[in-house]
Amino acid sequence: MLHRLRQPWSDRRAELTLGALACAVLLVIVLMVVFVANEAWPTFQHNGLRWLFPGGNVDTQINTMVNAGAKPPAADYHLRAWPLVWGTILTTGLAVVFGLIFALLASIFIVEFAPDRLRAIIVPVVRLLAAVPSVIYGLLGILVLVPFVGNHIISAHDKKSVEFIVQLSGASLLVAVVILTVMIVPIMIAICVDALYAVPRGWKEGAVALGVNRWRAMWTVSIRAARPAIIAAAVLACARALGEAIMLSMVSGSVGFAPNPFDGPRLFLLEPLRPLASTIVEDSESLQAPAVRSTVYAFALLLLFSSLLLSLAGYLAKQPMKKYGVRS
Amino acid sequence: MITEQPPPIRKILVDAPPTVAPGIAPPAGGHAATSGAAHHRRGEAGPERMTLQGLSVFYGENEAVKQVSLSIRLGEVLALIGPSGCGKTTLLRTLNRLTELTAGAQRGGTILLDGTDVDALEVTALRRRVAMVFQQPNPFPMSIFDNVAYALREQSRKRPGRSVLAPLVEDALRRAGLWDEVKDKLDAPALRLSGGQQQRLCIARAIATRPEVLLMDEPCSALDPRSTAVIEQLIGELRSDLAIVIVTHNMQQARRVGDKVAFMYLGDLVEYGPAEQIFDAPQAQRTRDYVRGVFG
Ligand SMILES: Nc1ncnc2c1ncn2[C@@H]1O[C@H](COP(=O)(O)OP(=O)(O)O)[C@@H](O)[C@H]1O
Ligand SMILES: [Mg+2]
Repeated sequence: MLHRLRQPWSDRRAELTLGALACAVLLVIVLMVVFVANEAWPTFQHNGLRWLFPGGNVDTQINTMVNAGAKPPAADYHLRAWPLVWGTILTTGLAVVFGLIFALLASIFIVEFAPDRLRAIIVPVVRLLAAVPSVIYGLLGILVLVPFVGNHIISAHDKKSVEFIVQLSGASLLVAVVILTVMIVPIMIAICVDALYAVPRGWKEGAVALGVNRWRAMWTVSIRAARPAIIAAAVLACARALGEAIMLSMVSGSVGFAPNPFDGPRLFLLEPLRPLASTIVEDSESLQAPAVRSTVYAFALLLLFSSLLLSLAGYLAKQPMKKYGVRS
Repeated sequence: MITEQPPPIRKILVDAPPTVAPGIAPPAGGHAATSGAAHHRRGEAGPERMTLQGLSVFYGENEAVKQVSLSIRLGEVLALIGPSGCGKTTLLRTLNRLTELTAGAQRGGTILLDGTDVDALEVTALRRRVAMVFQQPNPFPMSIFDNVAYALREQSRKRPGRSVLAPLVEDALRRAGLWDEVKDKLDAPALRLSGGQQQRLCIARAIATRPEVLLMDEPCSALDPRSTAVIEQLIGELRSDLAIVIVTHNMQQARRVGDKVAFMYLGDLVEYGPAEQIFDAPQAQRTRDYVRGVFG
């Protein structure tokens, strides 16, 4: 009878199988990067690294490509993508910074200070929010926040002061960052809460027993110990924010404009923009035009590259912590 | 540095000069702590540091500590003994109001620290004066230096620099008997130390800010006999400027380190008195059975 029982996999066999799978995944990633880079090549060939710089109106430049037809002259590859890159940096950076601050405070509150009954409600709700599709946030943004900002925050004076540069409608950096933050915060809170719960009770009690108040104990010991997970949460949120296309295209105004901090913080926040991911979606209809196609692939390459860099940065940031026994 | 044998069991008679149990010579040279510390014993106990009056602790309906009255004196080690689950840890944790962190725990009775009700003190101020060492060594995931400096940093208003902290850290590590082992690797992770070293690091961390009372909850239960011996010796050395309360369910240990012993059973304080009385002439039948190992 016994010999008919299924043999468990040997460690060696499992190791080989998993190793092969991992290699396959790696290969797919490499192929993807090579393919995208290859498609993007003409853009960089014509623009060089100045592709990333500011210069001219990016929307006009893309329109020229769309109209250039199947055999575009070299000049039609001309693009200065800075406004789109800047829009991506701004929305992602601000949303992740605000999100991180908010998520840390919220998770400390949930883990350490919230009454049990409140916690029993908050935690599932946060997890639910993390699963809400981003289009829904975009819809709320466009139906509620954009009109609100357009009608109550932007004054006629504001509109007049930048009238010849850009139109202020309410769809703006402000709304984009707010909605993006709301979108990425739940998953960050969920990760931070889990990480704080996983901090051994002995460390927290040890700190409290040394006469440190609970807030400081959380901050100096628990948060410290949970840093790897917090970094992971930030990287994940960054990746989501970088890749967010539809929602941002709805609430950002979708204008190839680089909000200018020198216009003063108020106007800066009220100016519209369009990040790279949204641009990819919006230009995907014109992919038959070779110049557009190459440009869109260049955007994709940049995003791909950023997310790889992000993972690497997250990994490097965790290294010094391992030394002191902070688990990751 | 480390004594080869466990410290001898000392039999101390009231009002008699301290003696060492025959047959075991005190370790020669170096830290002859066992014999040195013994001079502090009995008769020299300082003023009352903490006073417990009718202390009770409830976990919901369950009364874990029942109407306990005790006093804890400067320069004296009080050993709390009793079988598992009799409320020793609970009693200890009420002394620095750590039970307040446990949902559903309620305390009755009064605890005085130098004559002041501990409820009237700011809880952080109380915990700075009444430090605690836990059953499981719990060094923070930081360097050795940062562990010892942790409370010093947190308790000073302005962030002190390393040059200010270094002598204080060294002093604490010396008093905890760990300095010679770690002086060359203060920046190494504390979690890489052995269990015994980690526990001594926790002691150093607790005494770095010069508390008045040191609470120790079975500090040796997770350690090997050799580390246990080192920590017991350390307790003997520390007692001169501290009041120490140590929980243990090891009767030999209570006998070795305790000046006073309190025997608890199911939340009741059954007997409290000088160590020699509890071990050699217990008054209550339950104490007698327990110290003779009839149950436990
Ligand atoms: N956090 C807690 N919640 C509820 N009951 C507890 C808690 N901690 C301890 N107890 C109960 O209190 C009693 C005393 O426990 P404890 O003080 O840990 O005993 P000891 O340290 O002497 O072994 C036990 O009956 C235990 O079940
Ligand atoms: Mg206990």
